[in-house]
Amino acid sequence: MTSPEQNLDLNVLSKITGTQEFLTRVPIFSGAPAGVAKMFAYLAKREEYAKGEEIISRGARGDRLFLIVSGKVDIFQTYKERRFHMQLLHAESVNYFGELALLAEFDWFFSARAWTDVVLLTISREAFTKVMERFPDSYKVMVQKIIKLHINRFVDQGSSLLGNISPEAWREDPPEG
Amino acid sequence: MKKTAADKSVRISDRPLFYWILRRHRPMQLFLLSIIVISLFFKVYPLEMQKRIINEAIYLKDTHLLFLYCGLYIGAVTIASLLKYATNVIQLYIGQKILVEMRTELYHHVLQLPLQFYRKMQPGTVISAMTAELNAIGFFLGGALAIPVTSVLTFVVFIGFMFNLNPLLALLSMGVYPLEIIVIPYLQKKYNKLNKKRVKTTRFMANVVNESISGIHEIHGNASYRLEEEKLSSYVHQLYTLMKKLFIVKYGIKFANNLFQSMGPFILFLVGGYMAINGQFTLGALVAFLSAYEKVYDPWKELIEYYQDYQDAHVRYRQIMKTFDLDPEHALLPFNRAPFTLKGNISMKNITFTVPSGVKLLENINLDIKANEQVALVGYSGSGKSTLSLLIAQLYDASQGTVSIDNHQIGDLTKLDICSNVAMIAQQPFIFSGTIRDNLLYGIQAVTADSPPPDRSSVLAVIRQVGLQDDIIRFGLQAVLTPEQCKPFREKFLRMRQIIQTSLKSAFEKAIEFYDATAYLHYSSIRDNIVFGDSLSGQFAVERLPDNPSFIELLQEMNLEQPLLTLGYAIATQSVPLLADFQDDEFFFRDNPMEADEFTTYSNLIKKLTGPQPKEKEARRLLLILALRFIPQKHSIVSLPSAMEAKILAARRRFQEIVVHIHMDHSRILEAWTPCVKAPQFGEPVDFIPFCPSEYMYTHTLLDNILFGAVKSEQALDEQLRNLAGQAFQDERLLDEVMDIGLDFEVGSKGDRLSGGQKQKLAIARAFLKDAPILIMDEATASLDNTSQARIQGLLETDYKGKKTVIAVIHRLDLTPAYDRIVVLKAGRIVEQGTYDELMERKGAFYDLARAES
Repeated sequence: MTSPEQNLDLNVLSKITGTQEFLTRVPIFSGAPAGVAKMFAYLAKREEYAKGEEIISRGARGDRLFLIVSGKVDIFQTYKERRFHMQLLHAESVNYFGELALLAEFDWFFSARAWTDVVLLTISREAFTKVMERFPDSYKVMVQKIIKLHINRFVDQGSSLLGNISPEAWREDPPEG
Repeated sequence: MKKTAADKSVRISDRPLFYWILRRHRPMQLFLLSIIVISLFFKVYPLEMQKRIINEAIYLKDTHLLFLYCGLYIGAVTIASLLKYATNVIQLYIGQKILVEMRTELYHHVLQLPLQFYRKMQPGTVISAMTAELNAIGFFLGGALAIPVTSVLTFVVFIGFMFNLNPLLALLSMGVYPLEIIVIPYLQKKYNKLNKKRVKTTRFMANVVNESISGIHEIHGNASYRLEEEKLSSYVHQLYTLMKKLFIVKYGIKFANNLFQSMGPFILFLVGGYMAINGQFTLGALVAFLSAYEKVYDPWKELIEYYQDYQDAHVRYRQIMKTFDLDPEHALLPFNRAPFTLKGNISMKNITFTVPSGVKLLENINLDIKANEQVALVGYSGSGKSTLSLLIAQLYDASQGTVSIDNHQIGDLTKLDICSNVAMIAQQPFIFSGTIRDNLLYGIQAVTADSPPPDRSSVLAVIRQVGLQDDIIRFGLQAVLTPEQCKPFREKFLRMRQIIQTSLKSAFEKAIEFYDATAYLHYSSIRDNIVFGDSLSGQFAVERLPDNPSFIELLQEMNLEQPLLTLGYAIATQSVPLLADFQDDEFFFRDNPMEADEFTTYSNLIKKLTGPQPKEKEARRLLLILALRFIPQKHSIVSLPSAMEAKILAARRRFQEIVVHIHMDHSRILEAWTPCVKAPQFGEPVDFIPFCPSEYMYTHTLLDNILFGAVKSEQALDEQLRNLAGQAFQDERLLDEVMDIGLDFEVGSKGDRLSGGQKQKLAIARAFLKDAPILIMDEATASLDNTSQARIQGLLETDYKGKKTVIAVIHRLDLTPAYDRIVVLKAGRIVEQGTYDELMERKGAFYDLARAES
């Protein structure tokens, strides 16, 4: 009763290693100790969205970090009933959003939708907090990294907005007197 | 209880202990007495036989006589023992019967004692009085009459027998008893004193424990364990010292008894032996005399013990009765009339309310409230507004002045008059253990015990009014229903499933992976994928499947056993090293087939294992369990090769074919709601229920049944349920059934399973359901969120406007404009009253309060 097809290969079954490899390529987790990365790989959840589908909407409770495994995600804000694109994210460049949700409780201040079919990995704040409790040394480093990355995004979004800004928005120095 | 009419004449706390014994169950007690008298004869008779065996049978060497006397002897002894047994049983029976009555009547009395009594009374005192201390009395009660009567009679009869044999010896051996009569009562008195102290100390101890349990939040918050331990330890030590003394005295009494008991035989042998040697006394008579002397000591001992028990019970009883020595303030039921139906005109004249310490909480209050007027009572905290509202509800009685409702003085109204006309919502309402329904109907059932409960529609209407419907629906959806509970609604619930399966299918597919007899389910466990259903008896539970021979046979036949063991092995070997440092937190096991408390088991298992195919049965069982629990989309620890899916699907078909004998092919056609379960043979219950569109799954929650699939995303589900399904079910009036089930949700002790807001809403619903003309709300909405508060307020302004007299104690002044009149209290006096606009214009106390708030 031992035909070869019955014996599963243990390496095929293991799933965490692949996720862990992916995580170490994401800036937030690159450089994290193997134990930490492995734990996040274990706790990460997979979410799939079809093209055009809303991923998060502004005002909803922010509770997790999103990592793009494949596809493109459109980050936008609705202002005066018009949709303003902030950033188009894809797996090969800035492939994360919602990073601040790991650190604090707040409502999403932007919306996100699937620009193409997308596969995401998410890590909840609860998972992040629980793991960080066990690795207090890594916590400091992580927080700094998340803030730095967020500043980068801020700069990126800012220049993208400035590039598209209407000429009227431009102002000279304050008038004298 | 027919006898109670006569009992009522003596207040319960004034009744002596024997009041209960002499007036209850007299026929039974008489019967007991007659048994005792009969048994006396059978106690003495063996002594006579003893004498005859020695003096006649042995002396004459007559075996025939020996057998006869011995036969009679054993017969008499057997009958005496049987009668003793009967006496004991009857005694206990009577005692417990009296105890039931005592407890019932005392509880009736205790519950009606005024609130002021409970202000100074510790719950621990009442609890230990009602339970442990009454129990101790109960054991005494049964024998209270029988034991002394039996003992005295037995004593007299044996002594008579002894005098009959030899008056001199009898007199001598009785000589020790007078001594005992002096010594033992002296010791007993000491014992009683200590015992009284013991009862008191035990009560103090109970109070300390009770208080610390009630305040456990505060204790944990302050980490004041040492402080609390010290409080208890002083009582523990007091009790220890007391018990030491108590037992010294108790055993002192025993010692005295034993000493006196051995004095008798000493005199008997000395004098009786001398007389027997000199031929003044037969040997048989001496033996019988000795036996009689021994026997006579039993009733004496029993009397002494009885005396001790009596003293003990008496002390306890007096303590209990002294605790509750108070009269209820108001009669419960009206005499010779139905309870009044009041309109709700309330009038207060010169009301002063003084607490025992002498502080006046209210002073010279004059207030008239017309029927159907809505009045808000406001003021700084401590101004007496709550107290004022409690006076109207008859919960407190004014020290001076009169409160009247519709010209009836409130003091003359019975409890029933008040509670059928006044509904009261407290600031921190009490929720009783039981279901939501029990709590809702609590107010009504108290008033109208005999009339039928209100119909479902009015109950549900009140639930909606107070904004509890979403919570009740959620409770309903989480309920697991038995076939009997489900029966009346089964069709409706299946209709809800059908709505989701047909018209809402595409919307729900995002959130749910529907059960499909022909598809592999990625959000369900491998067990669910194979068994594809549930057994009511639980025989196909994951933990039992590895021991199920037909299931294992099936796995082997389908070549699944080895791959599943490998899968289980992979899960265990991946999880154990990963979670070794995290095993104390269940969070890390949420998405793992292994449970936190099984970690050590699996950790030990993989240390022993050399490969994925162990020989040992228990190891195979453990690995198989992990594999069967594995849900590919949820458990990210390993992935399932797609080749396995086809095999598992084949196993599902085979399982249906050979294990549960069910054909599900038709279940794919949704229009065909034909049952998948074969019709049961006569007397054979249906055990296996497959995931079939037309079957209700009794081992799953109602929500599972309606969704008919595994949840992919809780968030998506929440949205779809609230928006789409809620509307669709509402349109078809299906939600009432769910709410009906939700009303049976068990709220836990003190309503612990409800949130603060839910408890408050439930209390408001309870009061509204009573539909009384007068509604008293003591900051009833204070703990609600703004939306809920506004909802209740709106109800008062629309539905209840001009229909009910409302007296609302209010803290938040922005709620007051809607009231007909605002009464402002300050330091126990009314300082202002009028409408909101009038008071704001006057720029007086109310204006100041309002400004302070904003």
